[in-house]
Amino acid sequence: MSEEVKQCSCCEEEASEEELLARLDEVIEEYQGKPGALIPVLQYAQGIYGYLPEVALKRVALGLHKPYSEVAGVVGFYSYFSTVPRGKNLIRVCLGTACYVRGGKQVLDAIKSRLGIDVGETTEDRLFSLEIARCFGACGLAPAMSIGDEVFKRVRPARVPEILSRYNEVDAEKEGVVNVAG
Amino acid sequence: MGEKSAMSIPRMHMMMCFGTACISSGAERVREAMAAALDEHDMQDEVAIIETGCNGFCAGGPIVVVYPGGVFYTKVQPEDAAEIVAEHVVKGRPVERLMYRHPTTKAIIPLYEDIPFFARQELRVLRNKGRIAAESIEEYIARDGYQGFAKALLEMTPDEVVEEVLASGLRGRGGAGFPTGLKWKFCRAAEGDQKYILCNADEGDPGAFMDRSVLESDPHAVLEGMMIGARAIGASEGYIYCRAEYPLALERIDAALNDCRRYGLLGENIMDTDFSFDIHVARGSGAFVCGEETALMTSIEGHRGEPRPRPPFPAQKGLWGKPSVLNNVETLANIAQILRNGKDWFRSVGTEKSPGTKIFALSGAVNNVGLVEVPLGIPLGDIVFDIGGGIPNGKEYKAAQLGGPSGGCVPKDHLNTPVDFESLPEIGAIMGSGGLIVMDEDTCMVDMARFFLDFIQDESCGKCPPCRVGTKRMLEIVTRICEGEGEEGDIERLVALGETIKETALCGLGQTAPNPVLSMIRYFRHEWEEHIRDRHCVAGVCANMFMARCSNACPASVNVPGFVSLVGEARYDEALRVHRNRNPLASICARVCFHPCESKCQRAGLDAPVAIRHVKRFMVEQEEEPLLPEMQVDEANAQRKVAIVGAGPAGLSCAFFLARLGYKPVVFEAEGKAGGMLIQAIPSYRLPRNELEREIAMIEKMGATIECGKALGRDFTLKSLKDDGYEAVFVAVGAPKGSRIGIPGEDGPGVYDGLGFLKEYNLTGTAPMGRKVAVIGGGNAAIDAARTALRLGAEEVRILYRRTRAQMPAWAEEVDAADLEGIQLFTLVAPEEIVRDGDGNVAGVRCRKMVLGDYDRSGRRRPVADEAADFMVEADTVIAAIGQWLDADAVMDGTKLDTSRGGYLAADPTTGRTSEEWVFAGGDDVTGPASVVAAIGAGEKAAVGIDELLTGANHAFWRREVDVQTAFDPDADPSETPRAEVDELPLERRRTTFDEVELGWAAEVAVAEARRCLRCDYGKYCSQG
Amino acid sequence: MSPADAPTAKIRNLADLTAIKERTQADTALREDGYHVRCTVHMGTCGIASGSRVVLATAMEELAASGRLDIRVTTSGCIGACEHEPEMTVEVLNEEPVLYGYLDADKTRRVFQDHVLGGTVVPEYAVSLGDHVGGVDAQGRQRTPKPDTEKWS
Repeated sequence: MSEEVKQCSCCEEEASEEELLARLDEVIEEYQGKPGALIPVLQYAQGIYGYLPEVALKRVALGLHKPYSEVAGVVGFYSYFSTVPRGKNLIRVCLGTACYVRGGKQVLDAIKSRLGIDVGETTEDRLFSLEIARCFGACGLAPAMSIGDEVFKRVRPARVPEILSRYNEVDAEKEGVVNVAG
Repeated sequence: MGEKSAMSIPRMHMMMCFGTACISSGAERVREAMAAALDEHDMQDEVAIIETGCNGFCAGGPIVVVYPGGVFYTKVQPEDAAEIVAEHVVKGRPVERLMYRHPTTKAIIPLYEDIPFFARQELRVLRNKGRIAAESIEEYIARDGYQGFAKALLEMTPDEVVEEVLASGLRGRGGAGFPTGLKWKFCRAAEGDQKYILCNADEGDPGAFMDRSVLESDPHAVLEGMMIGARAIGASEGYIYCRAEYPLALERIDAALNDCRRYGLLGENIMDTDFSFDIHVARGSGAFVCGEETALMTSIEGHRGEPRPRPPFPAQKGLWGKPSVLNNVETLANIAQILRNGKDWFRSVGTEKSPGTKIFALSGAVNNVGLVEVPLGIPLGDIVFDIGGGIPNGKEYKAAQLGGPSGGCVPKDHLNTPVDFESLPEIGAIMGSGGLIVMDEDTCMVDMARFFLDFIQDESCGKCPPCRVGTKRMLEIVTRICEGEGEEGDIERLVALGETIKETALCGLGQTAPNPVLSMIRYFRHEWEEHIRDRHCVAGVCANMFMARCSNACPASVNVPGFVSLVGEARYDEALRVHRNRNPLASICARVCFHPCESKCQRAGLDAPVAIRHVKRFMVEQEEEPLLPEMQVDEANAQRKVAIVGAGPAGLSCAFFLARLGYKPVVFEAEGKAGGMLIQAIPSYRLPRNELEREIAMIEKMGATIECGKALGRDFTLKSLKDDGYEAVFVAVGAPKGSRIGIPGEDGPGVYDGLGFLKEYNLTGTAPMGRKVAVIGGGNAAIDAARTALRLGAEEVRILYRRTRAQMPAWAEEVDAADLEGIQLFTLVAPEEIVRDGDGNVAGVRCRKMVLGDYDRSGRRRPVADEAADFMVEADTVIAAIGQWLDADAVMDGTKLDTSRGGYLAADPTTGRTSEEWVFAGGDDVTGPASVVAAIGAGEKAAVGIDELLTGANHAFWRREVDVQTAFDPDADPSETPRAEVDELPLERRRTTFDEVELGWAAEVAVAEARRCLRCDYGKYCSQG
Repeated sequence: MSPADAPTAKIRNLADLTAIKERTQADTALREDGYHVRCTVHMGTCGIASGSRVVLATAMEELAASGRLDIRVTTSGCIGACEHEPEMTVEVLNEEPVLYGYLDADKTRRVFQDHVLGGTVVPEYAVSLGDHVGGVDAQGRQRTPKPDTEKWS
């Protein structure tokens, strides 16, 4: 899955709507007629767009010969799918049991107050979106959070401003973003 | 041949853990640095860097294991690479600095099989973790991979395969524990041209990561299990349903599937037989309910993952209506070894009904977080303490949570419970998929219940009302309790709702959803009651109930950030006033308080807790004459007769608060001086006597009268007080009787009880002292007695304690001080007899060596006699300080009061009221031996309780929090500042004098330390809005 | 080592599986605990200066050519007998260790063939025999040269 997401984020500015639809059509064509095609196609679609806009859902419904309501129903059921665009950096705070026990909620609160947004929201400058993850499977590193592909381990609420500030500069080089929480 | 080596095969392998945890800890950067360092020495061909899957010891990542030798490096950073190459690779000198150190002994442990975390494990499913390149099918084959499949395919009939798995006793590792062989048998017997075998890798339990680790480190083991299963049931297609959140696992599955196809292990006519089989991957899209087998199948079919009613069971009608078997990752990873090694091998570990091993994802408040594989039936305590290394930061084990949102918790009195499919349900937990989360005293069980309900509510698919509506209703109630709005009857409502949901929900998820809440109510009901009745969260989690965690932890509810921040502005008088508002004995507590506030200090998350007690010490030193607190004049109260029995910390505190409400209480003290244990038991090197007298004088000045030499039961009784017109009595006589050891030779000269000995010295200034003293016990009284004996001139002082040093109830700093002063600690020894010579004098103590056995009700390992012979500890004086008790009958003397277990007085924790309306009690005579500050808190509560009895209303004006008005910038990011140290009296003077051991601070040190406070109270005062 | 280099013929029977197993074990054997002979090349600064890299390379080549899975070639730091360098200690399980000195590629080859593979000590290159041969163990600590049979089996 991550492969597709990466692919999208490196060319998100460039691809036109037609190009995106063309790529979606390729996927639909590949899966047409296969059993259980809807969910994998939606996963790819989200990889292409970064989220699932209505136009993509309609295209999928049409291509797979499914009622739109069924497609929307499936999208609404799974937490992986999002129908709203996300910010440049997706922050996911793990609230699995281990992270919760080790203070994940305090980390979440610190981020909320720092960015002034609630879970499921995006900052006005579209720099950050905030989500809760139910478990990364990184329980050994609790509390954990991720920003984009970077996982931060044993995060302390007092460190949150420092971590976020590294993403504040738009040109922050990838190399500059190191795990400071360890 | 030139200088450059040209080795055809590498002479060394560096196994680098590339599990998710190590990657997050920077494994990739370490690999790059290592490769660069090897290049620099031109050794890139000599040494192979091999990426393995999760090693399991996630707490130590990034991990590098170097072969030959198997030297185990932990927490390797990119900058360490050069040293490893230059020293270990080139010169063969392993780098000790990076090796694992034993957490307590600090000894270096170079080989990973010797590390306690691994030593107790039984690696079967995880046998290849860290040993093979995770993406190499050849290395899997080199470790006997696919031999089981070849055997099943070429040498056995499908029925024989099913029989072998059935006979092995393997039970599903996903949670329910259904026999795997039986599942296969049903599916094999089902009619159908097309059958499916499915692998559940949708690890949904939010605290479990073992399936991810298995898939990352040994994907072929799972595939081989699926192939064997497919052969057994007659399936031609398989699906792995794996969470999309596991990109690395998905990547490795894909690579492994491709390798299998390349080698013809998947595809048509495998190994030239008529068996054809292939495996597809379905990516889960984040729905917990899809862990339920019918929901998972619905999801693969491309629909909303809602469960289907059973029957029909999947073995008859599963995926796309065809007979299907769904097994969990770990179950499948067991299969190949069962086929290869046989059922008897599989049964050689574990229990009769739960054979084999189980992997647990050990996390939470435990030192060694990571993946552990243990034989089933192992006591839970062994996983937490032996493998997990116990609880970090000296905190206390509270509970372990097993089975995630469907499971329950195991409190400390059940640590002996064998971890298997039968035993756990008996105590309200389940095995579950293997998430094992350890919780310490900082975890609030009500808040945890809310966490699980919140999760379930979020993940409920909504198909059936009991789950959808019922859990929502439960969540509302628990949320209310957490926010301090709980009502009487809430607990009963939750239990009733939970039972209904269990009986009526459609699928397994719904039926088990109430389990965590019911389990937390079952074992921690008192915590729920405290939340509802007292609006108090003992763990300091439910933030609506307090201003700051330190104050919340203080039994006397002192406004800690208030007085600390005032010290930070050098406003000492105001600081002291804030302190005495809730705790009059500031100077005493500055010396002897065990400071529960510091262990809850949020600053620990940044560097170290604020040294609150020492800030307090500096604050009280600035006071010349005690200032009187805010007091109310009340003529009516002044006329009411109130008696307090006992002038210890509880009695003094009660007198102080009653005086603030205008009462003129009379305090009766049995001894010649007021102070109770403060003066009788606590030595002056810890608490200088003038400090004590100063604060007692303050309370007298406020209007309390202290009458010394008047003992309850000797000079008066409760009844005679009533007859004398006292309207209320507060009984605070402590627990002054020393317990007997109960061994031969105890009666006679030379044997003293600890409290008696301390009291004699502290009140008279002398006490009989021999040359060789043996103190029996491990509490604070034992340490006080030993250190006093040393100062009285004893040449050799030994403390004999039957448990370990870490288990001593005495405060660690006291034990350390005793150790430093030359007192010998003999731990794990139990006295069996006090041996006397011909003249009847003490000659020594005959002891038996103890070893730690199973866990007792307090969650500590029980000492049991060792096989080894007993031995003598020479002594001419024995001081027994093994416990204290209350002679409750002597207290009551005709006035019947209820008592609690242990023979103490029963009193309402909120008001101190006993079963007799006009009698109140608090301090050690209610709780048993406890702390000074707990007694102070109890005295305050009783004062309020007495006032309420006499006036019908609560007038405790000091309980209203007032803003301290100190400067604080909430936007300033705190920077790391070490905690200020405390100087101590030189050792040679400590051993011979009773001078105070701890020395004070200079003003600038105290002010700087006070400013380390993070002001958790900021913005929480009512006046600030 | 890497899958890309490996032959991709289909596995048709147990013998095919066993062949892959044995071929791969030649690479992975050094990770296993039990081994029979250990050659320790002493690679202090002085050793490297006098050519111990050649000794190491030769020993590895010989090991690869032998196909034996129960031999380990490791390195250690200087053992303080710098005058005999380059040196290598050969330890056969349950036998006294032998320290060879003044080695070059040819001599190393001969020691490997005769002693390591053949079990016959090469006295003309041996500097010392038995317990007084120094050395460090796999963890870098000064070791008693007598092989620890428990650990090795």
